[in-house]
Amino acid sequence: MTASALPGPGRYSIYTGRVTNWPLVVAFGALMVPLVVLGSLSPGGWLDPAGPAITLLVAATAVLFTTLTGLSVRTTAGPNGVSVHCGTFGWPRRTYRLDEIARAEVTELSLLWSLFLGHWWTPGHTYFTARTGPALRLVLHNGRSVTITVPDPHAAVAAIHESKSG
Amino acid sequence: MRWVVDHSSREALPLQIVACVRRGVGSGELAVGEQLPPAAELAKALSVDRNTVLAAYRQLRDEGVLEFRRGRGARVASAVTEPAPVTEAAQTLVAVARRHGVGRDDLLRLIEKLT
Repeated sequence: MTASALPGPGRYSIYTGRVTNWPLVVAFGALMVPLVVLGSLSPGGWLDPAGPAITLLVAATAVLFTTLTGLSVRTTAGPNGVSVHCGTFGWPRRTYRLDEIARAEVTELSLLWSLFLGHWWTPGHTYFTARTGPALRLVLHNGRSVTITVPDPHAAVAAIHESKSG
Repeated sequence: MRWVVDHSSREALPLQIVACVRRGVGSGELAVGEQLPPAAELAKALSVDRNTVLAAYRQLRDEGVLEFRRGRGARVASAVTEPAPVTEAAQTLVAVARRHGVGRDDLLRLIEKLT
């Protein structure tokens, strides 16, 4: 889709994209079944601190949480900033205003990133990643970097640059 | 996919959004079965009212381009076969013809004469 070179005063040019890692959604869903079954078969009740049920329940909850929140990323980039919505219910969500963003670029997530997919927060970085390969990276004025999986990171970067120059 | 709307344009905003989706489907950016952004999110990004986006989505549903499924939002139902520029030019032609009082039959006769 083409956009004219110079944005007019009332012109809004935005990029939207959604990425869902369906193979991992299925794999995580399948992983939950044995965890719950093992928990129910383990000796003692679900709330017995001596038994493994609580541990398995926590593991199953973590798997379910990751499946619902970390394996799908919806992004909107334009004059109103970059908004990220994760998972089935659009949560967690975050919006970065254009004046917070120092620069936007395309980065490559290596195969090693398969182990760290989902929503991650560290003191210097935030990740909204659903798959490896090319991704959008925002570098904020406060030094923090934000990595987001989008279907076409080059188009997202172009939309951000166009909005910032408008 | 890229969405471009111009608030200062004389063309109604829902029609501009309809044109964006048509271009996306025509160019292959939007595949059949692909989910469109929720109306509220798209409306916020484009600085338009949510009802404006919903009106566009409804028009596209009525034309068979989109389908609505409960809990799954709006999805692309069929690929538009005509190239987007041809569709846009045809839409413009129809609009101009209506403004000048040219009826459907006269318009079809004109197209037949030209092709």
